[in-house]
Amino acid sequence: MTDVHTPRSSESAEPADEATGPFGQEDNGEAGGGTGGTAVPPAAGAGWLLWGWRQLTSMRTALVLLFLLALGSVPGSVLPQQGSDPSAVQQYYVSHPWLAPWMNHLGLFNVFAAPWFAAIYLLLFASLVGCVVPRTFRLVGSARTPPPRAPRNLARLPQSASYPSALSPDAAVDAAASILAGHRFRLRRPENGGRPGNGDAGHWVAAEKGYLREVGNLIFHLSLLGVLISIAVGGLFGYKADELVVEGGSFADTTAALDEFHPGRLVTGSDLAPFRLTLDKFTAQYFTSGQSAGEPESFSAQVTYAATPGGQQRTDNIEVNHPLSVDSVNVYLIGHGYAPVFRVANGQGKVSYEEATPFIPANTGTLLSDGVVKAPEASLGFMGVFVPTAVMTANGTLESLFPAADNPAVSLIGYSGNLGMNTEVSQSVYQLDTTGLTKISGSPHLMYQGQTWTLPGGRGSITYVGLKQWVSLAITYDPGQVPALVCGLLAIAGLLLSFFVRRRRMFVRAVPAASGAGSVVTVGGLTRSDASGGFEDEFASLSAELAGQDRPEPNYQSETGA
Amino acid sequence: MFRAKRRTVITAAAVIAVLLAGALAVTLLTQGKGNASDSMVEYPVGQRPVAPDFTATSLTGTPIKFASYRGKIVVLNFWGSWCPPCRNEAPMLEVLQQLYGSKGVSFLGDDVADTPQNALVFDSSVHITYPSVNDPGYAIVQDFSQVVPVSDTPTTVVIDRTGHVAGLVLGTVTYAEMTKLLSYAAVTK
Amino acid sequence: MSVNLGWAHVSSDFMIVALLIYSLAVLAFAGDYAFGRPRRATSVTVVPAAESGAELVAVGAAVGAGSANGADTASGADTAAGQPIVGGPGGGSAGGTAGGVTTRGLPSRRLGAFRAIWAAGPWVRSAVALSALGMLAHLTAVTTRGLAVHRAPWGNMYEFITALTCVAAFFFGYIVVRYRAWALGVFVMGALVLALGLAETLIYTPAGPLVPALQSYWLSIHVTAMTLATGIFFVAAVLGILYLVAERYRARIAAGKVQPGNGLLDRIPSAATLDKLTYRTVIFGFPIWTFGVIAGAIWADQAWGRYWGWDPVETWAFITWVIYAAYLHARATAGWRGARAHYIQILGFASLVTNMLVVQVFITGMHSYAGVH
Repeated sequence: MTDVHTPRSSESAEPADEATGPFGQEDNGEAGGGTGGTAVPPAAGAGWLLWGWRQLTSMRTALVLLFLLALGSVPGSVLPQQGSDPSAVQQYYVSHPWLAPWMNHLGLFNVFAAPWFAAIYLLLFASLVGCVVPRTFRLVGSARTPPPRAPRNLARLPQSASYPSALSPDAAVDAAASILAGHRFRLRRPENGGRPGNGDAGHWVAAEKGYLREVGNLIFHLSLLGVLISIAVGGLFGYKADELVVEGGSFADTTAALDEFHPGRLVTGSDLAPFRLTLDKFTAQYFTSGQSAGEPESFSAQVTYAATPGGQQRTDNIEVNHPLSVDSVNVYLIGHGYAPVFRVANGQGKVSYEEATPFIPANTGTLLSDGVVKAPEASLGFMGVFVPTAVMTANGTLESLFPAADNPAVSLIGYSGNLGMNTEVSQSVYQLDTTGLTKISGSPHLMYQGQTWTLPGGRGSITYVGLKQWVSLAITYDPGQVPALVCGLLAIAGLLLSFFVRRRRMFVRAVPAASGAGSVVTVGGLTRSDASGGFEDEFASLSAELAGQDRPEPNYQSETGA
Repeated sequence: MFRAKRRTVITAAAVIAVLLAGALAVTLLTQGKGNASDSMVEYPVGQRPVAPDFTATSLTGTPIKFASYRGKIVVLNFWGSWCPPCRNEAPMLEVLQQLYGSKGVSFLGDDVADTPQNALVFDSSVHITYPSVNDPGYAIVQDFSQVVPVSDTPTTVVIDRTGHVAGLVLGTVTYAEMTKLLSYAAVTK
Repeated sequence: MSVNLGWAHVSSDFMIVALLIYSLAVLAFAGDYAFGRPRRATSVTVVPAAESGAELVAVGAAVGAGSANGADTASGADTAAGQPIVGGPGGGSAGGTAGGVTTRGLPSRRLGAFRAIWAAGPWVRSAVALSALGMLAHLTAVTTRGLAVHRAPWGNMYEFITALTCVAAFFFGYIVVRYRAWALGVFVMGALVLALGLAETLIYTPAGPLVPALQSYWLSIHVTAMTLATGIFFVAAVLGILYLVAERYRARIAAGKVQPGNGLLDRIPSAATLDKLTYRTVIFGFPIWTFGVIAGAIWADQAWGRYWGWDPVETWAFITWVIYAAYLHARATAGWRGARAHYIQILGFASLVTNMLVVQVFITGMHSYAGVH
């Protein structure tokens, strides 16, 4: 794909200037226009703007901006980014305490939302629009302009052939013209019947084809713009949310329920699709043997859902690569873990807490998970690990052998005291603030399923009752998604057109034969920026067709080689 | 030559400056809004949204129909025993219940993401006497979020005698805010 | 479904066989350079100005020299560095008429491809035959791997590299037939042998099943497209390096530092020819890469809930795309055609390789499916 940014100055030469060559000098146009104003200083204020605009929309600027775009993306992939891994960003602050704040100011921890990155692609798109729009007008103009006149000496063209014809020059050219028209070439015939005068002397026809190339070029660039706009629309009107659901639990899609909610700028809570979903069962299977032992084989979350409150209940299996689509919103299975069920009783034996408590995996391979249990009324809190397939190693550490719950166990440290849950300040349900609490017993207490730990000092007890699993679901709504896809596919279509369609011209001239009967017809052809090659073959076959089946082989003169 | 070079620099700088400003605007525009902070919303008479009806089970298992509360001012508090600010404001709500319960004001809790047992444990520990409905999946909250801007727990919604939402407080509510809302809700004409 | 070990063994064996045959092919190509028939130029009737001038501007060459040739014959007509000598019509190509001057274009296309290969001499014949045999073995290896694992055989780094080198080999085969480019064989096949050898020794992964995130029909679409595009860009990168070598050599000849002769460097096709070939290769690969990125975005949406998240691998695929876009723009910008454009194109491939070998393996993200432990 070439020549997006041909400056205007050279373009005007094309329609009229035949003397320099049938295709004008467009390809070399940048040599003059691209370098811009150092040769021609702008006249005044408006001249500056015009000159600046020329600079912006020049090919060279586009190149520089493309490089900057590529270069600017590199830190976004190498440094931890706030959007995808905030804890890694925190880690970076810890390990680079002096450098990190400066990097944050430069936007290096959120590169793709940083103003300087936005400036690069906005400039690039401004440059793009500034070129594409005028070129669209020029394309329309050139589609209306007829092809140039046939040059006098067709033998000087890159491809040329000649053949004798039994028809008179006029008729031979007519026959050629009709064949070319059959191939959907646009034609130009001499005016005033071929009498000498305005350069239209002789019998000739000029034909041109291949405007789709430029059309493809423009479609490609405009589609990129469309992708950008679609992304913007998605960002404004879409939202992403996360939700953790335990087996047996349900949730309604409302902001209060969602663990995380990232709305677009113009999204409010009432824009959420009002569906409800219950997680009936979650099944995870792991490879038990072979090279991938311990790796997940399949995940399946069986859910019952209704698109609207009171609407028809449906069931579905959400799996990785198989999201649930509800009311234009997509629900994805993102993660999973275990939620052991605990029962905590106070010193008097009264049950203070009983619930499946989600533990968060610390190791995604073995699903060793961390969690806390809070029973404020019993003044008890617990912190510890859950291990799906427990083994006590030789040096006394508790580890998990396998991610499936083959031998589940928990190991807890107990705390007693005021958990601080009757205060204004929110707490994470996954964290226990142990300040002001008294630790119970020295080492963590290990419990297998069904076991009870009676706490010393009559403080109460905790029982590991049973086990459930939880899934984390991502709920996303992106109205710009489908438009972005459509624009992306259009871009590819445009690319293919601009690469593989050639703009080419064929000329046919006929002069009376020396012997007096019939004529000698010369065919010439050339192509402009033949990216994929193959014009030579096209010319050969067209010439053969023009010459007719029963004519002797045309006398070829052509450039060969690759 | 020097003039042209200076103009190059200045024009380039101007274009880049203009675009950085635009880029900044774009960046700010596309960042999502954070959660709504503590704030009170009041609806004047005539513009009050209809409170969605619901039927649910109380923590003790008895059915509760919201429609049966028509004719009283209802204070509906979304809370959970796992939520410290909710636990913090509950005794204050209980006090208001004592003061206004006989004057046509009913207090009702909507216990979310919780088990009835855990919620009852909390209620009995701080001696809450008003009932709560069990709403583990936020269904009732979702219904309300279609008409009023509910965002997080806790949220307290005050419904007037005609079954319309008079106002709500997002986040924790203070004693003063409650008394203001109650007198606001009392006016229905 | 468990892995079919029988097919897995067959696959490994055929991969080694392919590697061996390719190595022999490289030797045969090298033999052609050392001992083969010098490529003969033929009479030129017309050397046009327009197409080679506008389309194939060779950096550093005097563009005007093209238009001066007129109807001269080719003997001794290596005027300007980089000016392609073109074969004439009908008069036959390599091994034909008198002249004896080394041509730096590619042989004429008047002759059918296989006749031209036959006429090019025993070394070329055996090299092409060996390459074809190697490609068949390679294809068998890739296919049987697929049979072994019951899915498209590009689910981890090793499989990806073996598949893309297979694509590169077949694409090179296409260039040899269409553009008579066997002169480039020693370089392209040599690079292929290196890549495949690296894959076999350092990155080898036994056949195994895929993690759930990869169990999707999108594997066939997205990774296939990336495999195809990478294989094609591989060829383009090799050609680009050749271009830079050829161009530098011509410049040194033009500066009088070196005498032209009949050595290896003299027999590389001209810079202009290489430039054109490279361009045509890149325009093949670029739409496929674009499609691959889009297919990847669709798959990411199905699996992770968003179609673009600036995951490191996604970002580097984007960077690669931008660099190749820069190459295409450079080819249309005065002062950036020629060597500079090729540097860009090679940089694009370097970015692609970085994505494959460094980013996927060492930078954690959702896309770490290399399978390399």
